[in-house]
Amino acid sequence: MGTFRTENPGDQPVWVNTDNCKACDICVSVCPSGVLAMRYEISSTLGAMISVEHPEACIGCQECELSCPDFAIYVADRKEYKEAGFSFAKLTDESKARQEAIKANNYYSLEQGAK
Amino acid sequence: MAFNYERYLRLQKMPTLWCWGCGDGVILKSFVRAIDKMGINQDDVCVVSGIGCSGRFSSYVDFNTVHTTHGRTIAYATGIKLAEPSKLVVCVAGDGDALAIGGNHTIHGCRRNIDLTMIIINNFIYGLTNSQTSPTTPRGMWTVSQKAGNIDPTFNTCNLAIAAGASFVARETMIEPKKLEKTMIKAMQHKGFSMLEVLSNCHINLGRKNKMLSAMENLEWIDSISMPKKKYDALPDEEKLNVLPLGILKEDKEADEYCSMYAEIQKVHQGERKKITQDDFEKKI
Repeated sequence: MGTFRTENPGDQPVWVNTDNCKACDICVSVCPSGVLAMRYEISSTLGAMISVEHPEACIGCQECELSCPDFAIYVADRKEYKEAGFSFAKLTDESKARQEAIKANNYYSLEQGAK
Repeated sequence: MAFNYERYLRLQKMPTLWCWGCGDGVILKSFVRAIDKMGINQDDVCVVSGIGCSGRFSSYVDFNTVHTTHGRTIAYATGIKLAEPSKLVVCVAGDGDALAIGGNHTIHGCRRNIDLTMIIINNFIYGLTNSQTSPTTPRGMWTVSQKAGNIDPTFNTCNLAIAAGASFVARETMIEPKKLEKTMIKAMQHKGFSMLEVLSNCHINLGRKNKMLSAMENLEWIDSISMPKKKYDALPDEEKLNVLPLGILKEDKEADEYCSMYAEIQKVHQGERKKITQDDFEKKI
């Protein structure tokens, strides 16, 4: 039985289920603000795994959740998240530049160096 | 808390058997969200799928499902719909399933204008059996069955459905899931045969030999061959040849629907009305 988690692990704007992720890079490519990136992972089939690098920059657009074919990534509901006392970030030039850098780095995390 | 997918999926079958980055998963997700938005009880929905990668669609959704023989989704779905006209019946088929093996059923489903929703997942190749030429494979692409390059002209699915008489025809891509979800809702709410073609990717079997090695490269190619209908209409005729328009291409709410006409036949046999004559129809031929 596959593990399936849609519950927020603790007031996160975006969270991932690494049991379902197949490392296809789609979510990283559709994110406008450089929140997500791939990391090397030896146990994964493609040698990579999704990770949430900058949750503080998430604008809550849900593009990553809707584009994920494997139900591996979730974004908090805007209304519920606001009621819990949090708010999504605004799109800044810094996050746009980070997204371009991640794309140029073959969707890999910048902290892991060039691929 | 995010969207509650658990309610609509068979969790014991998860994760899906599709390849990484496969568009089928995005379409499955859009379908589940569309059903949730429409507020239909999942017991009132029947999903019928054929053979192929798209055939696995019915295994993952926790609705009434039928996994049928190759290309015969419309045939099974017609029977289900006529027996239970109040239920929402959705057929899911691939491009080979719906246009090659089941091409005959597809055009006659369109002609009858029976109240079904048909989602054709078009990935331009026979993906499950390792890249043979399908009716929608673009010319010049490498396939296992045409290694020197495909020479067959391609089917335009939506034009076929319009010509055959479907009353709702639309085309979307899996690149824009929000738009896909909206069009899917419109297609399912439409009374009459609604055909929704969704352009999807197969970077494993189409892309491997055609210079599209990752999901993202394949999606960029799909983006380059499709454009919104408004933009498409403004193009000069010679540029329209290699581009597929996206959006709702035909919507006819006045067309006669098959289930309601079939109910009249039942009335004839029960002695409640006289035989049906040509005067009962607005469109006679």
